[in-house]
Amino acid sequence: MKNLIMVSISLSLLILSFTLTAQAEEIATLRDGTAISEQKKPNFIPKIVNTDILHARNYPMQPPLIPHKIRNYQINLEVNKCLSCHSRSRTEDSQAPMVSVTHFMDRDGNFLAEVSPRRYFCNQCHIPQADIKPLVGNTFKDMHTLMKEKIRDMKVH
Amino acid sequence: MWKNILLNFWQTLRRPSLHYSLGFLVVGGFIAGIVFWGGFNTTLELTNTEEFCISCHEMRDNSYEELKTTVHFSNKSGVRATCPDCHVPHNWTDKIARKMQASKEVWGTIFGTIDTREKFLAARRNLAEHEWARLKANDSLECRNCHHFDYMDFTLQNTRAVEQHSTSLASGEKTCIDCHKGIAHELPDMQGVDGW
Amino acid sequence: MKINRREFIKANAIAAAATVAGISVPVAASNLITNSEITKLKWDKAPCRFCGTGCSINVATMDDKIVATHGDINSPVNKGLNCIKGYFLSKIMYGKDRLTSPLLRMKDGKFDKNGDFTPISWDQAFDIMAVKVKATLKEKGPTAVGMFGSGQWTVQEGYAAVKLMKAGFRSNNIEPNARHCMASAVAGFMRTFGIDEPMGCYDDIEAADAFVLWGANMAEMHPILWTRVTDRRLSAPHVKVAVLSTFENRNFDLADNGMIFTPQTDLAILNFIANYIIKTNRVNKDFVNKHTNFRLGNTDIGYGLRPEHALEQKARNNSAGNTGGSEPMTFKEYAKFVSSYTAEYVSELSGVPVDKLNALAELYADPDTKVTSFWTMGFNQHTRGVWANNLVYNIHLLTGKISTPGNSPFSLTGQPSACGTAREVGTFSHRLPADMVVKNPKHRAFAEKIWKLPEGTVPPKPGYHAVLQNRKLKDGELNFYWVQCNNNLQAAANINEEVFPGYRNPKNFIVVSDPYPTVTAQAADLILPTAMWVEKEGVYGNAERRTQAWYQQVNAPEGARSDLWQLVEFSKRFITDEVWTKELLDKKPEYRGKTLFNVLFENGNVNKFPLTEIPKDRLNFESRDFGFYLQKGLFEEYATFGRGHAHDLAPYEIYHQGRGLRWPVINGKETLWRFKEGSDPYVKAGKGFEFYGKPDGRAIIFALPYEPAAESPDKEYDLWLSTGRVLEHWHSGSMTQRVPELYKAMPDALVYMNPDDAQKRNLRRGDLVKLISRRGEVLTRVETRGRNKPPIGLVFMPWFDASRLVNKLTLDATDPISKQTDYKKCAIKIEKV
Repeated sequence: MKNLIMVSISLSLLILSFTLTAQAEEIATLRDGTAISEQKKPNFIPKIVNTDILHARNYPMQPPLIPHKIRNYQINLEVNKCLSCHSRSRTEDSQAPMVSVTHFMDRDGNFLAEVSPRRYFCNQCHIPQADIKPLVGNTFKDMHTLMKEKIRDMKVH
Repeated sequence: MWKNILLNFWQTLRRPSLHYSLGFLVVGGFIAGIVFWGGFNTTLELTNTEEFCISCHEMRDNSYEELKTTVHFSNKSGVRATCPDCHVPHNWTDKIARKMQASKEVWGTIFGTIDTREKFLAARRNLAEHEWARLKANDSLECRNCHHFDYMDFTLQNTRAVEQHSTSLASGEKTCIDCHKGIAHELPDMQGVDGW
Repeated sequence: MKINRREFIKANAIAAAATVAGISVPVAASNLITNSEITKLKWDKAPCRFCGTGCSINVATMDDKIVATHGDINSPVNKGLNCIKGYFLSKIMYGKDRLTSPLLRMKDGKFDKNGDFTPISWDQAFDIMAVKVKATLKEKGPTAVGMFGSGQWTVQEGYAAVKLMKAGFRSNNIEPNARHCMASAVAGFMRTFGIDEPMGCYDDIEAADAFVLWGANMAEMHPILWTRVTDRRLSAPHVKVAVLSTFENRNFDLADNGMIFTPQTDLAILNFIANYIIKTNRVNKDFVNKHTNFRLGNTDIGYGLRPEHALEQKARNNSAGNTGGSEPMTFKEYAKFVSSYTAEYVSELSGVPVDKLNALAELYADPDTKVTSFWTMGFNQHTRGVWANNLVYNIHLLTGKISTPGNSPFSLTGQPSACGTAREVGTFSHRLPADMVVKNPKHRAFAEKIWKLPEGTVPPKPGYHAVLQNRKLKDGELNFYWVQCNNNLQAAANINEEVFPGYRNPKNFIVVSDPYPTVTAQAADLILPTAMWVEKEGVYGNAERRTQAWYQQVNAPEGARSDLWQLVEFSKRFITDEVWTKELLDKKPEYRGKTLFNVLFENGNVNKFPLTEIPKDRLNFESRDFGFYLQKGLFEEYATFGRGHAHDLAPYEIYHQGRGLRWPVINGKETLWRFKEGSDPYVKAGKGFEFYGKPDGRAIIFALPYEPAAESPDKEYDLWLSTGRVLEHWHSGSMTQRVPELYKAMPDALVYMNPDDAQKRNLRRGDLVKLISRRGEVLTRVETRGRNKPPIGLVFMPWFDASRLVNKLTLDATDPISKQTDYKKCAIKIEKV
């Protein structure tokens, strides 16, 4: 058993050092191992996720991501397309989530009768997602995961 | 007096021709009819093309320019809508009625009623309301020329669309234009518009 | 109570855990963790890591990890709001490929320029760096040593870098990436007012009746300021927004008067407005007579290219002393100068309709309309960027619409501390802190006195500016180069011809400090893993002169060290005798045998504050490592430059308490509007206005013409290329491309083009195309719709994408006065692949 562990450790070290050397020159992760003088063939323009399935938020204060396409959604001096579904008065018809209550607050924290103009351009905070895998992983742990770890640790001690 | 005139006219029509044979008159009349009718229809069809619509810069720089980025211009299957597909009724009487209305637009073009973007924007609510009213009144006929309710596959639509189409649209409570405003051109100020 | 299967399992698991831990969990709340010991978050504040707006962020930590971030409700800047980047700050430090060990290119256990990156220790890293610096100094002297820093450095980092370079190595070859970003604004301020940075502040937004955006896509690049402009425009319906740009962007969604102009013709439009004000008799004569002078600037000043370039051969006034020259003139002469810029002529030149030009000019001319002008890279990244800055001040000065609430010519900054670090600290090749310059012997003496260094330590000749640094690297004249806190191999213009060859020149040793393996790191010889944002303590200064501080809130990944630690620790590797001349040491013999650390950082100022001044529960890796409160010592020594010189800063700890203060801070009070009696304590009583940056207290109105761009489209290269940023990514994307949500929102840099231009070339959306300039090629895909709508003849491509380096195409032409590159104009052609 012990030997087996030793063998697998040294084997993985070997693989690790091999990959390190193999990739050493072209280390810029976002270039996907391509030399600076070269260029990888650009991938296709990806599709936008249009499933209407809500994404869990990374933390409660994160603005929700948009689970649908917003091609040609007009938000300008004339009209705000998003609010035609997400405004308080429209949600019964649309069954879309209502804009958060924070959006009714002006700069000084007073609640207004309508969504505050400072929140008018929805796309400054809310974005749709393309149907692609991330280029690089992210090791961010949300508070729930950390709390669970804590509870587990409590159990251990 | 009117009676006399009508009588005279009737008699003239009834009297046989003095110079032309009947055959000539029948055939000639037939040909003239074809030429006239054909010419009329050709002209009508000519005015029924996108090229004609965007030969005026009002249309080219505003409506058409805005159409270019939308799904009715460029999409998956390449089936695209041209101006008349949505804005000119397909059955004859409605078409002629629409064409007579459109003579006002020709007038507008000659006299520069909407010769700047600003004037277009100022007039947009009014123009849009005409189109919404027309489509509302004809139960979105021009939409339905391509988008048949009976052949919609709800399993291929996303859930939001299915919810609306299977209820309000199916029951006839709503028609396409009620929800799908501003899909091919930008919207005007929507203050007071139902559903906005 | 209904409970589904998954919830049931989860609830059971928690209940089981809680039972073992001895916590009793009420059954009804069993899928909710309620124990406050566990759910408690530690909240603290920090300025945002991204743009120059300077939003304050609330940061929540748990178990030494950031778990949440949101807009700080107590900050006057953003009042609880963030943009999409700001909301995702929580994830920028957790990219899977964080660097944790120095990496050196090695072959057979030794450094080799063509070797493979190999992990080494910090000691080994500093060893080889010290060897390289010493060898370079010995062989070629201080001018062969250089550093390229950042407007994203903390104030302390920038200040420590200036000391190490200008005093330690006695080289003025230190530049921030802010040279690409703010240099034209700086030179514009210095030329017109004699003192840097905006006179107004963000409070102008809530007071203005009209906004004019001159080449500032605020909707994407300053989103939170845009929320304030939007708020003002929509809450007060009389307010008007005018937008000028070379292509339609998101600003136009709020525009009452949107104008697309032919690139470079903004200069003519600016002169037209001045002409309109004069012709319609709306000059504020009282203001102009009391507070301004008129000058005629030199013209035909070249394009900042290499001297052998045809354009430089042709230019009359492109020698160093000539580009910024000017001579006095009268108002009458000035009026005559601008009189040729009629609406008709300028409309013809710019493509903007006459009525739109008139409507724009009327906003400025109408004495009852308070106007705030905003600009950023449209003006600054411009071969006549300084002129553009001068010309917009002309308009505000002619009408007296300046330094009062709502009347504000406002130069926005791109980076979080372009003002605080790059400009105020003076991390430029010609500068010292508080607007002082190395050329001025009094300024040098002043710095040397504060630094307790022998007279003559700071060299008088300005060093290589950013673009020149790249040229000198290529030419093999700059041989040791340290890049911190930026990604210049992606950001600098003309990568193919001028930048990359310099990094790979065998004569040069390139060090890159970064948290992530960037494009620049890939081109380096040594990579140092860097701690970022709240993994260190620091100070940033935003676009409205607001200085903000933050504490370290989490530990950096094992092995990563802040730029500040790197700079200070590295200074221990040098004895004064190795880097200074005998004559210099003779003036202060007691410094013989001392390390640069001793003389620069243990000088009685920087090490003045003991560790006990750091709150006990606070992390501070650097200070605890060096044994004194390093950040406070650096800040306080730095602050002595500006106190009493119209750049006054408050005591360090004040900044940890509030949400920042706008300098000059006098008797604890910040200054909102400078140069105006009553709101600026530096203005003498009875003066009304005083532009005290100039000896006679008068600002200068400059007569400057329209001159063409360095490169314009022709038959072969038939399209203008403009480059820039996007909302979802910060600069080169090295942080934001590692946040999956931001990456998925804007994964690739596409080329935005007019549908007609695409059709003409038989292209459609999504087509693979090759963009070709005289300098290089880049592949990308076509976008014919979306947020940017270029006019026929112009395309836009952002530069955030490390895999599609648009700067292989751009031209390294600069403003000859500010040395800032024009990234908005070059000629390309597009071919289908």
